[in-house]
Amino acid sequence: MAPDLADDQQRELDQEQRLVEEAQRGNLDAMRPILERYAQPLYGTVILPRLGDSASAEEVLRDTLATAVEKINRFTWQGKSIYPWLRQIAINKVFDVHRQSKRSRRLADAMVHEVPSESDPTTHADVQLMADQERRAHRDRIDDTMGLLQERYRTAIELRLVQELSREDCAKRLGVTIGTFDVLLFRAVRAFRKAFGERDPKAGAS
Amino acid sequence: MKTDDDDFLTGAVPDPDAEPTAAELAHAKAFADLVDKTLVSGRMPPAMSTDDRALLEVATVIRATHGGLPLAPSKQHSVVEEALRLAIGGGNAATSLAGAPVIPIKRRWLPWAVASTTSLVAAAAIVLLVIRKPPVQVQPNVPTASIPLEWKSRPTDALIGRISSECSGPAIECAKQATVSTSARIDTIFSDRLAGYRDRRFGGKR
Repeated sequence: MAPDLADDQQRELDQEQRLVEEAQRGNLDAMRPILERYAQPLYGTVILPRLGDSASAEEVLRDTLATAVEKINRFTWQGKSIYPWLRQIAINKVFDVHRQSKRSRRLADAMVHEVPSESDPTTHADVQLMADQERRAHRDRIDDTMGLLQERYRTAIELRLVQELSREDCAKRLGVTIGTFDVLLFRAVRAFRKAFGERDPKAGAS
Repeated sequence: MKTDDDDFLTGAVPDPDAEPTAAELAHAKAFADLVDKTLVSGRMPPAMSTDDRALLEVATVIRATHGGLPLAPSKQHSVVEEALRLAIGGGNAATSLAGAPVIPIKRRWLPWAVASTTSLVAAAAIVLLVIRKPPVQVQPNVPTASIPLEWKSRPTDALIGRISSECSGPAIECAKQATVSTSARIDTIFSDRLAGYRDRRFGGKR
């Protein structure tokens, strides 16, 4: 690692420690920069991929950050970033949401316990690395499930949900009518959900 | 037991080339519209069936995993502000807390604790006041001053002798037999009582 980069990372970590200690002394507003820094990775890589509902994900993010501020005195600084602690709060909140919703239990079982811990975040840069790893892990799981689908279903999902093409463009690419494409996508998502839930749970656990 | 996850969510998915029923066509069209709305607004429509919501969550998970649903900066800001407001309490979510004095959670309990204790003490005092019996007024035994017999109401037996009960009715007959005449008895009694009055009124001066 370049010396300048290492210095920057150490400065960020020192700043984070100062902010945490200030918050623990009673100035809870000191948490604001930390919350702003980690809101996006928590939402994009921890909460939303486990919930699938942006409105619920925003509520869980808000509750996660509020809990972190309220319980900041329970956090013990160990020379590492606060991000893993925030992430664990977020996962617990997501699990609570799934427990209350029988509808999404299957999706929850498949995703909520997936907690990669390959990196040991000490700095903000490592936190980014951890978020990237988590995103990759989610994508691998999605791609694995896609691999179980029939070719036409996989294509329908990729065109519409990954590339976000319009229905008309998707239908044109597949050489079918819009109505037929709608049926294809409908069946594809059903098949994906079924395959995702029926995967061996041990395969996704880490 | 039948759950929300049953029926078409977990049932067998037809092959891509299988002819759709009219019901499936309608359902597929409705689902495609929901996906459209979600892709445009980034949020799920508030009203939809449980089955559609479950499928839409799967679509959102796929999109989120591929980085298609980042948290907008304005939304991130409002979530952070709301989280701080929730944790710190009071204030307006739209109002920045920067620069404002932040009261630690523990210290916010103090006024409530004082108010609660005061209310309890006041309530206890009122209850005691209501249920406590008034003290019994004990009349002290004040010794009466000794006064001369002449000042009191008293029998006349000592002056004129006892008049027998037989003479209470036929007084005239008894009077004939008596050693002392009736008028003399009255005079004796009057004289005695007058002497007592004079003694009390004039201190024995005649």
